[in-house]
Amino acid sequence: MSFTSQIFHLIKKEFVLEWRQRYALSGILLYVLATVFIVYSSFIRVPDTAWNSTFWIIIVFASVNAIAKSFIGESGNRTLYYYSLMNPYAVILSKMIYNTLLLLILCLLCYAAFSFIAGNPVQNVQLFYLILFLGGTGFSITFTFISAIAAKSKNNATLMAILSFPIILPILMTLINLSANALGMIKDTAYTNDILILIAIDLILVGMALILFPFLWRD
Amino acid sequence: MKHWWKILGVLLMIYSIVAGLAIPLKPGIYDAITASKAITGAPIDIVAVGYLTKFDNTKDDLRAWLKVDNEHAIASTAIKVESESRLKVSFDIPNNLPSADKTVDAALIIDSKKNGYSIFPSAVFIKNTVGTNSAAGWTNAISNMTQHQGMSFPYRNILQETIRNLFYHVPLWFGMMIIFLISAINSGRFLKTKNSKFDHKAASYASVGTLFGILGLVTGAIWAKHTWGAYWSWDIKQNMSAIAMLVYLAYFVLRNSFEESEQSARIGAVYNIFAFVTLPMLLFVIPRLTDSLHPGNGGNPGFGGEDLDNNMRMVFYPAIIGFTLFGAWMANILYRLKAVQQRLLDKAFHSA
Repeated sequence: MSFTSQIFHLIKKEFVLEWRQRYALSGILLYVLATVFIVYSSFIRVPDTAWNSTFWIIIVFASVNAIAKSFIGESGNRTLYYYSLMNPYAVILSKMIYNTLLLLILCLLCYAAFSFIAGNPVQNVQLFYLILFLGGTGFSITFTFISAIAAKSKNNATLMAILSFPIILPILMTLINLSANALGMIKDTAYTNDILILIAIDLILVGMALILFPFLWRD
Repeated sequence: MKHWWKILGVLLMIYSIVAGLAIPLKPGIYDAITASKAITGAPIDIVAVGYLTKFDNTKDDLRAWLKVDNEHAIASTAIKVESESRLKVSFDIPNNLPSADKTVDAALIIDSKKNGYSIFPSAVFIKNTVGTNSAAGWTNAISNMTQHQGMSFPYRNILQETIRNLFYHVPLWFGMMIIFLISAINSGRFLKTKNSKFDHKAASYASVGTLFGILGLVTGAIWAKHTWGAYWSWDIKQNMSAIAMLVYLAYFVLRNSFEESEQSARIGAVYNIFAFVTLPMLLFVIPRLTDSLHPGNGGNPGFGGEDLDNNMRMVFYPAIIGFTLFGAWMANILYRLKAVQQRLLDKAFHSA
């Protein structure tokens, strides 16, 4: 099986699994809706600064929950099966691509729920969609790799949080900075710089994850 | 002499501590007190409070100016020495201000052979009561400034004596980066060779790096108390440095969460390399994006220019090398302790 077809089949497998056990996806969607309602009930009228930060905090927590299961959910036998059959790069890349798609849906849903319930202060909509895309990619790369590390341990839920939150911070800070721009809270014409930083961080993390994953997956 | 680097490290550290604390600052102006408001067309008396100055020995050649900008200044009309650290300087402010602003701030400059020259920025704010602006009465006659003689560090108004912290706070962070780099390299060598020796090395260097980082945070907080007004001002640089320490504390938690030592070493090594790659983003990229009080961040200039003269460089660069070598020695001792423990464990295992 060629490398690309391996990736294709692995992504297809993820979709099939997700479709068979729909509770995982619907659970995350409900999670987003519930937290947005909590945010709304605690603010009633959500100021722009709070909109910006709570939006991204909800996305961080929802993504951790969504992605934590990507390696932790795999049984030992299935991992052994991949190990005998697949290229490690195909395994990690397919998980990252699938999780990116999942997070993009999650981000869009969160945006829709926020606009519906708490109002939509976004002024530069195109920029905001670009930020959602870059943010979803960055979160997916980091959380997928960290979940591969945390899955090896017994207390993986705690490890997932303590390993990933400090590492996600550079991406999160850049995202909040950029989306403050899209919301019109700060007028910074040099935001392309921030976008380049975000892309650079994403590329570096993908590169490191690809280099390190082959050492990680086999026991 | 295979221990030369340890001796060098200790010598450089002793040198940087002794020279860094013993060399005096240049004499400078600590405060400028005015009894009345400075307005155009009126005389004003300014009492300059000196730090480490010897005004009483230098009566004859004392000169003073009020400087608005590089082209416009006035010389003093009278200078009266009150004590070795107090000087009463009188000026006649001209009828006009050289700029169109309603108020301009002027720096007080005092020069003498013994003390050298010193500048106190924004000593007075001159209010334009006449309303016109012209350069009449203002000159650019500041000339023949005297340099302070002898070995000294620059006197800076906000930093004062804390300028010496440059020799301890900054080398700790430099040393930390180098030590974490060595730790990551050893992790990489472990993944390549699967020799537990490199894992022990990586863990030892990571411990010392974390210690350096925590000391860097503490020395930074002490410096911040003096210059920024509080130990912790939730500045982006402080926050990100603390987060960087969390990344490495998580590394130790991760290592301890596995029972099997090979697995703990391998997964720890993977995370260590990943963590080292995110470190520059936390410490150098993100603090540049937002406002920060820290030099070199948020659009601030880095430490340099008048803050860092050649006398300081002579202590600062050796301090970086000294702290790094000393840290490497500490990590070396930790590593040997781990290796001996491992050997004792193996021995007990085989004899049982």
